Amino acid sequence: MTSFFDKNYQTPAWFAEKKVSRRKLLKSALGAASLAALPTFAVSVKHQQLLELKKRDPWLTLDATLSHLLPKSTASNDISAQGIHALEYLVQVMTVQPTKQDEKDFILKGVGWLNSYANSEYRQVFVALTFEEKELLLREVSHSNAGRNWLSTLIDYIFEAMLSPPAYGGNPQGVGWQWLEHQAGFPLPKKGQCYFELPARARAKNIKASSLNIETKV
Amino acid sequence: MKNIKSPDYDICIVGSGAGASPVAYTLAKAGAKVLVLEKGPWLTEKNFFKDELAISIHDAYNPKLEDEQHVIEEEVQDSEGNKFWQGEKTSDSGWSWWNGSVVGGSSNFMSGYFHRLKPIDFRLKTEFGGINGANIADWPISYNELEPFYAIAEQKIGISGRVVEHPHQEPRSTDFPYPPIAELPMSSWIDKAATSIGYHTVPVARAILSKPAMGRRSCEYSGYCSSYGCSTGAKGSGRAALLNHAVATGNCTIKPNAKVYKIATDDKGEISGIHYYDAAGNKRSVTAKTYVVACQAVETSRLLLASKGKQFPNGLANNNGQVGKNLLFSGGGTGSGDFIYDQLTEKQVNELKVVGPFINRALQDWYQIDDDTFAGTNRNGQAKGGTIDFLFHQNPIARASGTQWGSFDLGTAEDNSAGEEQGSDKLLWGEELKQSIKHEFTSYKTLRFEVFNDWLPTDDCFVTLDDEVTDQWGDPVAKVRIGYHNHDLEVGTYLAEKAEKLLVALGAKNISSSVSGYPSTNLMAGGCRFGDDPKTSVLNKNCQAHEVDNLYVTDGSFMPTGGSVPYTFTIYANAFRVAEHIKQQWFGITEIIK
Repeated sequence: MTSFFDKNYQTPAWFAEKKVSRRKLLKSALGAASLAALPTFAVSVKHQQLLELKKRDPWLTLDATLSHLLPKSTASNDISAQGIHALEYLVQVMTVQPTKQDEKDFILKGVGWLNSYANSEYRQVFVALTFEEKELLLREVSHSNAGRNWLSTLIDYIFEAMLSPPAYGGNPQGVGWQWLEHQAGFPLPKKGQCYFELPARARAKNIKASSLNIETKV
Repeated sequence: MKNIKSPDYDICIVGSGAGASPVAYTLAKAGAKVLVLEKGPWLTEKNFFKDELAISIHDAYNPKLEDEQHVIEEEVQDSEGNKFWQGEKTSDSGWSWWNGSVVGGSSNFMSGYFHRLKPIDFRLKTEFGGINGANIADWPISYNELEPFYAIAEQKIGISGRVVEHPHQEPRSTDFPYPPIAELPMSSWIDKAATSIGYHTVPVARAILSKPAMGRRSCEYSGYCSSYGCSTGAKGSGRAALLNHAVATGNCTIKPNAKVYKIATDDKGEISGIHYYDAAGNKRSVTAKTYVVACQAVETSRLLLASKGKQFPNGLANNNGQVGKNLLFSGGGTGSGDFIYDQLTEKQVNELKVVGPFINRALQDWYQIDDDTFAGTNRNGQAKGGTIDFLFHQNPIARASGTQWGSFDLGTAEDNSAGEEQGSDKLLWGEELKQSIKHEFTSYKTLRFEVFNDWLPTDDCFVTLDDEVTDQWGDPVAKVRIGYHNHDLEVGTYLAEKAEKLLVALGAKNISSSVSGYPSTNLMAGGCRFGDDPKTSVLNKNCQAHEVDNLYVTDGSFMPTGGSVPYTFTIYANAFRVAEHIKQQWFGITEIIK
């Protein structure tokens, strides 16, 4: 596939039934080989690191997209992608959590497809567009199956950023729970206690270390 | 004189959940040297958090399906109407059949609704006769034989509850050892509504400590219970309630990350040892005087089927071909109704918003159906019925998921900004998305119910070994055929309609229910049914293999029929019963040696 609008993309029957795992959904949208591996980070992405990341793609475009999907408003007690640390959470999903490579590839490919489409329509990259232009572009993208899946995937991660324990990088001080009047349970995991940091399971001898579910840090 | 090496342990138990832990506890307390081999890691209260990502989204307490999986055979139909069974790997479907692969097993993640079976469950065939297409069999023991062990389990596990007079109350020798855990306002709403329509509610006993005891803290009402691991020790998992005490005797060794792949037998058909992979994948073996298998129904059958030997070419204790047969799940389904905040008083809304305590209400008025209008396979409206439990869900990410699709109802057509797209799959974002998710979380609360009725044993529900798919160690995985009997749906639908009437009486809106033949993978039993006839059962009434004297199966595999309640309590009680038998056997062996 080369764009959200590739005619070869077919939505499987199970998507219509909404009984499909997100992983399967993403696999169906992928065609080409994986992009280069992203650098990895410690569980907590430091503020300064994030500021640097946001200056360049893919994070620049992803930040702009997330902010468009869940924008700031003037209303008090409102919520936004920035307020729930959606990008920080997504960075963690892409570089710290043991997220499947095909899912990460799909998110990254979407960045390329989005900017290609923005260029074809406006001769600018996505972040340079006005709010109205972004809205029109994303609405067009959402009319393609692959585009709709890409945007919905980002929105699913917005929900995770908004409603998962703060140890995962989003939902600072539980702002998402407060906004939705949701009472969280306790105890919550702290740094070092995330799902991928639980004690390891037994492994067969012939399993290569590279496929182990272990955290990688720089 | 020939030097015969004595076994490494008195008792070797494969698995560590509700079927295994009572045996480890009882025998270690009695002084026997016990080894528990558990495939998963040994976690403690410090490893359990109210973390939806860990429990639901990433299923972190279970193996990855690429490493360990199942093959599930469903009946499908081609375009010409021909039916056939088609298998699918769970790594392809994403449908995990694991329920907690850690020390303590799935009991760490149970809701802990501890209903006892009732006397009628032990003699289903005698009471209701046979049903075409179902392999119904009476149990070889009665309720009265198991009752003392329900009482022991209530004490040792720490069950909270209260006894009330009820049309279907089973006989009890004792009261509950712990008072009920705190209840939500919804509990009294249900009581009142039930009374108004002639129903009788039952307070649900829970495997949750209502006060500190036995070295465990009581429930702290964190609001997330159900499938979440307990960080206080209040939930009566086999690990928290029994294994910790077993280890404290100094007689019980638990080896986590030890994956048993074969029970070996010699030319005479006697068990020569248990073979397992350690955490690093090295092959190990161990011997014992007595062997106990309790890996949960599917994996227990898988292990026996994989344990072939000269005397057991079809798998251990399987010369009659019964291992893996008559697998059981729970029949029934789920339903729900919504309480719309703007249709309620402020007091009612505030009561609905209380989080922490439990509903703990069930209906068992139709545990035995006696209703001429019941249209199922029956004798003049007589049939075995079931149980209805009520609950709230908490998982916020799951609740948010889907609100990005434009089908939300903001109340009236006039003010519905998504009205044009309502019912379509318009993807919402921006202010529309905010409205949608805010509406989802703050405008109503859903009361859910679960129906439990018998999953009749049939020839289309069983475990075999798959010919092609293997686990990460290269061993064949279990293939599970999941056929069901239509009678299960008829009973489930009957009960769901009764539950819906209660939701109507409660004033709930958007009431619906769903009863299907899909198995409840967290509620499994059968596969090694016990019985008096060695030709038709795998185990005798003591859950001892007919063909192998020192082999016992103590998880839910023994059940020839499952009853109409969740299985865990009965698995605990039966394992305590069998443990007592094994203890007496062990005392006998010890005396002979002396």
